[in-house]
Amino acid sequence: MTRPVGGEFAGLSNYIDLLQSPAYQLGLRNTVVFMGLSVPLNMLLSLGAAMLIKDMGKFKPIFVLIFLIPLVIPSGAMVFFWRMMFSRNGFINNIFDMVGLDGINWLNSEYAMLTLLIIFVWKNLGFNLVLFLSGLSNIPKEYYEAAKVDGANALYTLRKITFPCLLPITVIVLLMSVINSFKVFREVYLLMGSHPHESVYMLQHFMNNNFHSLNYPRLTSAATLLSIAMVVITWGLLWLERKASHE
Amino acid sequence: MSRRIAFNFKLVLLAVTGIVFLFPLVVTFTNSFMSEQEITLFYRTDLSYFDVLEGIEQRFISFRLIPRDFSFAQYRMVLIDRPMFLMLLVNSVRITAPVTIGSLIISLLTAYGFTCWKWKHKEILFFIYIVVMLMPLQAVLVPNFIVADWLGITDNQWAVILPGIFAPFGTFLLRQSMKGIPAECYEAARIDGAGELRVFLYVVMPQMKSGIAALTMLVFIEYWNVVEQAVVFLRDFDLQPLSVFLSRIADGRAGLIFAASTVYMLFPFVWLFLGQEHLEKGIELSGIK
Repeated sequence: MTRPVGGEFAGLSNYIDLLQSPAYQLGLRNTVVFMGLSVPLNMLLSLGAAMLIKDMGKFKPIFVLIFLIPLVIPSGAMVFFWRMMFSRNGFINNIFDMVGLDGINWLNSEYAMLTLLIIFVWKNLGFNLVLFLSGLSNIPKEYYEAAKVDGANALYTLRKITFPCLLPITVIVLLMSVINSFKVFREVYLLMGSHPHESVYMLQHFMNNNFHSLNYPRLTSAATLLSIAMVVITWGLLWLERKASHE
Repeated sequence: MSRRIAFNFKLVLLAVTGIVFLFPLVVTFTNSFMSEQEITLFYRTDLSYFDVLEGIEQRFISFRLIPRDFSFAQYRMVLIDRPMFLMLLVNSVRITAPVTIGSLIISLLTAYGFTCWKWKHKEILFFIYIVVMLMPLQAVLVPNFIVADWLGITDNQWAVILPGIFAPFGTFLLRQSMKGIPAECYEAARIDGAGELRVFLYVVMPQMKSGIAALTMLVFIEYWNVVEQAVVFLRDFDLQPLSVFLSRIADGRAGLIFAASTVYMLFPFVWLFLGQEHLEKGIELSGIK
């Protein structure tokens, strides 16, 4: 057994060992793929929802409430429902069967990634929505009035006023989405356990499992690489945000 | 006229999306009032003898929204007949309450230090706070475990509670909120001879109400949903919070799971209804700038 404290300097051998480990490569790839899909998807949908909700007047708080509810619901409380929804004989395959389509193995095949995306967006849309709504409400009304006076159409106003003014908050939403995308592990773990289908084996699975098998050098090397990546991403995005808000 | 049509179109679109979003909760809530027989009817997927005779090849799960006969039997089972559920619920409270209160106290003090004091290397230390905050839990498992081992609290709820209390997120959030207080306020109080404790309690604290509410809300929601920390640090079943075991508590008996989930969801629900604006405030404050 390796002890977490003490030991001797091993140079880069732990890192070489880590980078050559197929489990690490798999976890890293899946985490990056999930981020690459979930972050833009969630941002687009929440921006769309924010644009719709913005003009809802007295209905606005109710719709915000509806999209915030999934955020406060403990993941565990929904696990059974998702199972009934996505299992082999679940509700979705029931509908597929009715319209004459073949059922899909939603939880334990390549499609597991899609299942996770659906659950993730359901749960996290409200977070981005609130940020986008606050960004939208910060755009001065005069801009829109001026555009109207000049006879600008809706699309033009969107392109020349709304999007440029939203740029700084969009960078913040992007950063928060990257961070929040790690939280999907909770759902994967509860729904599919610590050894899910290989298409959704995340970096966190790798670290969690190495913790349980007491392989500390691997875990700490992976954690160090992740920390460096996060610092670089955060730094880069904060720099971008500063640039965007000065222009 | 066309504006009205556009408004109504948007309203309908949002309403439909809203119904889809609420569907999982509605199913969980209404089905918790179903009787055991009805539940079995809808959630059984294995084929019975009669199904085979009738030529049914595969049974699917279908959701029924309104129970045929309304019954509290599942709730009686969960709340009275099975003490295990209440034990796990109490564990959840015993983890969430200290983390929420503890992190609030610690974060108020640290945020005060970061906002209202001037000292060397403040910015660098704060950047380190942010970096630690961004780490997923798995990345800090080893250091957390070493500290817990050193304190002798492994296999103890404190191994989950202490890292929660000292998490940098609270400091970050309250600092964001405290930055809104004009510096003249506490500087004037200092010039008038008020000590730090006085400035903190009587100048800063009264202006922190919304920040405190926002943090309390976010920390509660996060720890009511605690999973990974509990799985790693608590090997003993008797110490687990309910959030880990909701879906496994009743050996797959759907009715019990729905009832238990409804009870468990009720707590954050009440919070949300009482303070939706605080949650929104908290989300806005947690945007890193």
